[in-house]
Amino acid sequence: MKIKKYLTLTRAGIIESLQFRLSMLVMVIGNLLYLIVIYFLWKAIYASADSDVVNGMTFSDTLIYLVLATALFNFMEMYTVWQIGRDIQSGKIVLDLVKPIDYRRYIFWSFSGSFVTNFLFTFLPTFIVVTAVTHGAIHMGLNLLYFVVSVVLAIMINYSIDFIVATICLYTESIWGINMMKQVIVLLLSGATVPLAFFPDTLRNVVDHLPFQAIYNAPLTLLLDGDPDMKDVCITLGTQLAWCVGMFIVSKLFWKCSIKQITVNGG
Amino acid sequence: MKRKGLRFYLRIYFKILAQDIKSKMSYRADFIISTLGMIFTNIAGFVSFWILFRSFPDIKGWSYHEMLFLYGFSLISLTPVQCLFDNNWSLRSYVYSGDFIKYCFRPINLFFYYQSEVFDIKGLGQLAFGIGTLVYSWNKIGLACTPLMILKIVVFLITASLIMIALQNAAAATCFWIQNSFYILDLAYRFRDYAKYPVTIFSSVFKFIFTFLMPIAFIAYYPSLVILRPDDVPILTWLSPIIGCLFFYVSYKIWMYGALKYNGTGS
Repeated sequence: MKIKKYLTLTRAGIIESLQFRLSMLVMVIGNLLYLIVIYFLWKAIYASADSDVVNGMTFSDTLIYLVLATALFNFMEMYTVWQIGRDIQSGKIVLDLVKPIDYRRYIFWSFSGSFVTNFLFTFLPTFIVVTAVTHGAIHMGLNLLYFVVSVVLAIMINYSIDFIVATICLYTESIWGINMMKQVIVLLLSGATVPLAFFPDTLRNVVDHLPFQAIYNAPLTLLLDGDPDMKDVCITLGTQLAWCVGMFIVSKLFWKCSIKQITVNGG
Repeated sequence: MKRKGLRFYLRIYFKILAQDIKSKMSYRADFIISTLGMIFTNIAGFVSFWILFRSFPDIKGWSYHEMLFLYGFSLISLTPVQCLFDNNWSLRSYVYSGDFIKYCFRPINLFFYYQSEVFDIKGLGQLAFGIGTLVYSWNKIGLACTPLMILKIVVFLITASLIMIALQNAAAATCFWIQNSFYILDLAYRFRDYAKYPVTIFSSVFKFIFTFLMPIAFIAYYPSLVILRPDDVPILTWLSPIIGCLFFYVSYKIWMYGALKYNGTGS
């Protein structure tokens, strides 16, 4: 595989996202506002609770978990479904399909540039702020390494899910509703709105067997665990890897079957 | 030019509305999926609420059912902005592409004509969900159901909706001055998620910000006090109907100012 042509796409993506400096600023402000709301909400919640530790999580654990889940969401969300959906409606998808590059890979790499900028401008500042606010509740050690590996796997799982949802758009030609459903399901069942540790046991059991928890819950649990047990780490990363491969195959096959379906009105 | 009366506008509103519904109905699958997406969003919001309160009995003196009341209240008060002012979301692309100029040539109120063009039926699901939640929590708290109470809640629901509409109008109107205003609109949209928390959980600085600078506390908290804490209603609550009208008027002026300044793109 010639990596150079993909890196060109990454570069173009970085330049493109740097064009929209104002939107970046608004995004940072929006993020900040969200963090403030989360902070006070959970502070009030913990102040009303009887003990400092609820469901095995302290206030700083919960805060780090939720804040970084949001930061991860902003950083991983690629709006793939929107993009592909719009391309299907406008017919532009035809032009991309005839390019001498695999469509799935093309979309991924053209979004990879925004990974870089979002990582630098939203994830990293949030991470630093959270570390400062919680006075080093994040353990600095091997868990950071596991976290990074886990995030890379999470990005790939997230992309595969996005791609499957986008493929469904080929049949329904509806974007808004499908994207909404996907977003809601992923955010709730991955633990991004309420940490999975708070879920009731039966629900937790179901969620553990779905791929969504591998997107946010897995990396964040690895990060928060200051003294990781090698076996747990292997299980978490192994599960993620399995989902990653599984979802990759499903999304690839689904796309391959569906692409024959496509109806494009001009373009 | 002769000023046109309310009757004229109402008649024309329903005429435009009928056209919009007809065109929506021709995309039946999209309509069904979007409605499902909306229902999913509401269910997910409710589930995360429920999970949270399973672990914590109350938040700063606000019981589960009272919080549920706030939640239902915010859902209902957000319905008008969802149903009647949804076209604000497309304003950006109309302005950008130059199509907006077509609205400027109509012999009726520009703002009225633009907003009446789209009616979002999906919002009605949210309305039903909100009413259900409100009635349920109303019963559970054991509130009396007198005509006065009903009158109060209707007045304050309208107030709350006006404020959200005002926020969205103002945010949408920014596109007359800035290119990429989607993020600002998105930011205003995200406010609605914070509206359902009692403003007492915030520190005094943010209480001030959320009351005066970004008036999201008026979307559910202040109006609900009339019903939930009748002995202890702050003056701001009684003022909120006036504040609501004022905000709406200001946002209308901003919107119109931007629209009348609009020059088109020349195409």
